[in-house]
Amino acid sequence: MRDTSAPPPILEVRGLDKSFGGIHVTRRVSLALAPGERRVILGPNGAGKTTLFNLLVGELRPGAGEIVFLGQPITRLSVPARARLGIARSYQKNNLFEELTIRENLALAAAASLGDTRSFFRDCFRNPELRAIVDEVAEQVFLTEILDTEVRNASYGNRRQLEVGIALAARPKLLLMDEPTSGVGPGMIEGFNRMMQALPRSLSMVIIEHDMDLAFDVADRITVMNQGEVVFEGAPAETRDNATVREIYLGDWQGHA
Amino acid sequence: MFRQTPIRTGAGIALIAGLAIHASRGGYFDREIVIEIAILAMLAISLDIVAGFGRMISLCHGAIFGLAAYGYGTAIVKFGLPPSTGLVIGIALAIAFGALVGAICAGTVGIFYIMATLAFGQIAYVLIFESRWLGGDDGMTGVRRMDLSLIGLNMRDSLTFALVCLAVLVLVYIAAAVVLRSSFGRTLSGIHANEARMRAVGINTRMHKTAAFAFSAALAGIAGVLKAQHTMFVSPELLFWTLSGEVLIIVILGGIGTLIGPAIGATLLVLLKHEVSHYTVYWHVVVGAVLILAVLAGGRGLFGEFEYRLARWRARRRARRGTGGAADA
Amino acid sequence: MSGSAVFWITQLLNALQYSMLLFLLSIGLTVIFGLLHFVNLAHGALYAMGAYIGISLALRTGSYWVALVLAPVAVTLIGVVLYLLLIRRLRHAGPLSQVLVTFGLIFVFLDVIRILWGDIALGMDPPAALRGMTSIFGVRYPTYRLFIIGMGILIMVVLLVTLARSQIGAMIRAGVENDQMAACLGINVERLFFAVFCLGCALAGLAGVVAVPVLSATPGMGTDILIPALIVVVIGGLGSLHGAILGSFIVGFMATIGAVLLPGINSVLIFAALAAILVFRPQGLIPARG
Repeated sequence: MRDTSAPPPILEVRGLDKSFGGIHVTRRVSLALAPGERRVILGPNGAGKTTLFNLLVGELRPGAGEIVFLGQPITRLSVPARARLGIARSYQKNNLFEELTIRENLALAAAASLGDTRSFFRDCFRNPELRAIVDEVAEQVFLTEILDTEVRNASYGNRRQLEVGIALAARPKLLLMDEPTSGVGPGMIEGFNRMMQALPRSLSMVIIEHDMDLAFDVADRITVMNQGEVVFEGAPAETRDNATVREIYLGDWQGHA
Repeated sequence: MFRQTPIRTGAGIALIAGLAIHASRGGYFDREIVIEIAILAMLAISLDIVAGFGRMISLCHGAIFGLAAYGYGTAIVKFGLPPSTGLVIGIALAIAFGALVGAICAGTVGIFYIMATLAFGQIAYVLIFESRWLGGDDGMTGVRRMDLSLIGLNMRDSLTFALVCLAVLVLVYIAAAVVLRSSFGRTLSGIHANEARMRAVGINTRMHKTAAFAFSAALAGIAGVLKAQHTMFVSPELLFWTLSGEVLIIVILGGIGTLIGPAIGATLLVLLKHEVSHYTVYWHVVVGAVLILAVLAGGRGLFGEFEYRLARWRARRRARRGTGGAADA
Repeated sequence: MSGSAVFWITQLLNALQYSMLLFLLSIGLTVIFGLLHFVNLAHGALYAMGAYIGISLALRTGSYWVALVLAPVAVTLIGVVLYLLLIRRLRHAGPLSQVLVTFGLIFVFLDVIRILWGDIALGMDPPAALRGMTSIFGVRYPTYRLFIIGMGILIMVVLLVTLARSQIGAMIRAGVENDQMAACLGINVERLFFAVFCLGCALAGLAGVVAVPVLSATPGMGTDILIPALIVVVIGGLGSLHGAILGSFIVGFMATIGAVLLPGINSVLIFAALAAILVFRPQGLIPARG
């Protein structure tokens, strides 16, 4: 029985199944995300985390199951339709507008969020609302100084920041981040930690993360996946002590931590 | 992302002024060449909108162009309608065909896009070629020019017609530049740079690409209507895929994604064709060799290469100044 | 036998013969795409070169058979030069660059042919042994055309068996499926690709010589056949040998039988089929990759 005093979840996933050629990559995945919650998904490579994201944003269609966002079933909606409802994601492998400047990258996403993409005369880049979003996001992801640098000339770390920045400039209600710190050094991971802590509490987030310190710092709750299944869900403190989780996953990290 | 830089404006003004002077000083033959250049430049600009700013390499722009010419001609010859109505019908036909092809092909990419547009262009070509009513491969004669005597223009006069074509070319360029700098054009450039990411931030890219293709078709249609008026005759050859290929070559040689480059490319190709034909009938081998060399040299085209080198030179100069300043301090 | 039965059997044989020409041409196109990911629009030009070189060789030596053997060799040499100068460099350049450069090559070859052989159509007699008519299925049909059909079927069978049974066939299949994986398995991918490319050129040249006694040679013949050959390749599935076979029959029969049943409309139908495949099933009817 659900506690009636709790607010309804912003995202609810029920029994999500996806298989490629008979091999299940996600199996009966269910989870519910409270508004403003920050959820970290842990799991070894091949656990189905990125596939789950692809299913959530619509880049893949599930074999079975349902996705409900803000009380509305979205399982059959296209990628752009879901994005317009307020779901944005960042990618594990940089997926940027390479030949454009960082400012233009953010502006394109901001224009989409403002719905200012159709006029044949007005220039959205001159729209003050759009400029405000670009400036705000640039500050959030520490790119204010180099806004007019072309992406192809930017450092790898800056591209990782921009990767999240584009998703933020789309003004989402739910932000999905796929390993934002993938491939960056320890110093920058600390920067990402500060960045995530500074994001508004009202923004709900699901984060796939391999850096344990960052994961435990950011997460309200943690979901652990293995072989396409959710094997554990709980508060960060419970996660460390859970026997199943230790068995399949944590043994690996205790060596590093 | 499109930028109307002073260099582009300057190049455009110089080009138009040069062509206008060539037409007014020269004889009938020079005016014919200027008209040919102006019409081909419009078609090349229209192709650059989709190919250079939306990654839609169309091989059916010749067919769109030809359909508009046929729409104009048929309205006048077959239905006895006034040329102004023919103009509307021709452009409307181009937009309708462009929107249809654009919508169907919007989901395909790369070589598949090129071949799908080729297929639709050839369908239009075959249908017109096989139509007895439209004169089959003989085409249709008796296409009148528009009567602009109300505003004091005699369109039968070759100089007047050449100058009208140049004026329309300027308008087509301005329309393209305005749209590419608009919200719509910005988003199109985003699709050009990374279509998947544009979908992920909420853009219905198929619809956007379709609209861009229809807009491009409208401009190609304007060129087609002028073509029908210029030769006062339409034939299925206008729709054949080799014309689409030739326009694509013009866009590449001039500089894809620079907008003014394709207009310059059209000028050079027409002049080259006429110059080479003074010496030899084998101009294909010249154009083919130039095209191959242009692609091997980086594919930026004439104007694109010029802008690229200019930007590099400026960056180097800035860097030198920057280090100089640091040494002073 | 009734007149209409004779007519239809003749038409079916014509369709079969055209399918075989398309097949010989599309092998090169499709395999070069499947293995090298290269769109070679100049493939039609190689076919035209085969035809013209064949005519010259037959005139010099007085023997069709010498032309039949040597013209494909000459065309392969042209292909090798193209490969070394252009195609190798453009393998990873993206489809637009490939289309443009090979489009430029079409222009170059068009004028080269006009310069060397002139603008008029040239013909060539079939060899003495293949002149005249042969009775088959109760109709009298030109012997030479039967020869084309027979040769096409022979090459088809040889290629199918080679691809399915031999080691080189297994290597080609692995290369089409996943070239990096094939390289990891110790296959010299570059050499394999080059060999396949040469075979494709030779077959295009062969198609050219074989076609001349039926179609006669014109400078534009390469461009004329390019579009139907591309349609064959796309409908069948880029990179797929089985697809090329199926596609050749579809296009060959639609073009020949369609011209009788639905004159004028049949080519619209062919292009409509092409568009439908491109939009709804871009991997083709028989995809190269499982």
